[in-house]
Amino acid sequence: MSSVNGAVPTTIIVAGFALAGYALLMTALNRRMNVPLLAATGVLEILLLVEVGLIVAKLAGGERPAGLPTLIGYLIATPIVPLAAAFWGLMERSRWGPAVIAVAGLVAAVLMVRLHQIWPVIHV
Amino acid sequence: MSEPGASRADSTRTGPGRLLVAVYGLFALSASARAAVQIATKFGHAPVAYLLSAFAAVVYIVATVTLTVGSPTARRIAVLSCSIELAGVLAVGTWSLADPATFPDATVWSGYGSGYGFVPLVLPVFGLLWLRRWARRPGAPSAFRSGKSPKLGDSRSPW
Repeated sequence: MSSVNGAVPTTIIVAGFALAGYALLMTALNRRMNVPLLAATGVLEILLLVEVGLIVAKLAGGERPAGLPTLIGYLIATPIVPLAAAFWGLMERSRWGPAVIAVAGLVAAVLMVRLHQIWPVIHV
Repeated sequence: MSEPGASRADSTRTGPGRLLVAVYGLFALSASARAAVQIATKFGHAPVAYLLSAFAAVVYIVATVTLTVGSPTARRIAVLSCSIELAGVLAVGTWSLADPATFPDATVWSGYGSGYGFVPLVLPVFGLLWLRRWARRPGAPSAFRSGKSPKLGDSRSPW
């Protein structure tokens, strides 16, 4: 079954790094949070929700990883990352707002690798 | 903490502190969750490692909360917890390399935080640097306060 193939996680990793790079550039250029950066964070959020949906579908299909509690924890935490970063970053009126978004992008990429380690059927 | 005026860098949670609190919060959450799962499901497997994970989680929670609050008392507690954190990552890092048998499973601080990109090693250093900046100007609003100004104000600052 290839419903959780490598395409979505790979896209998330690339998108996460791209978002982090863009956000860090904004920090370096002393820019504050703006609409394009929020939109990019929203795109990452949607991609993460798609990935979570694919994994939930696989679980609903009856397959189980060895570390199910850990996987469920990751499924809950993953979509919260960009939301929390956007909230926390928007409260900042300096270059350090985008820096928070950069962390979220890097974390999203790391989470995909960790998901694969928890359940190898999730290909990266 | 959501009043508009507070979003300038006039507390330990704004400016560079915004990033610091975000990373501390991330580690507080992930270390707590990880320690909880480890202790609940397989404590006998590596008790020392899991208890150290739980201790690290507590340290991260204390740092996150005190840096967010930012009052003089909170800053003193934060200095203490960041110091314990730095000592902990150095001690546990050395211990895990010297005596791998005690650590069949990793903690956050194993190998000086190598499993987490050495962020656990760097984080308390930045935390202490950030707090030291506040200790030098007790109670005073930060030089970041200039709002729109692109300059970060304090030229002595490493930020």
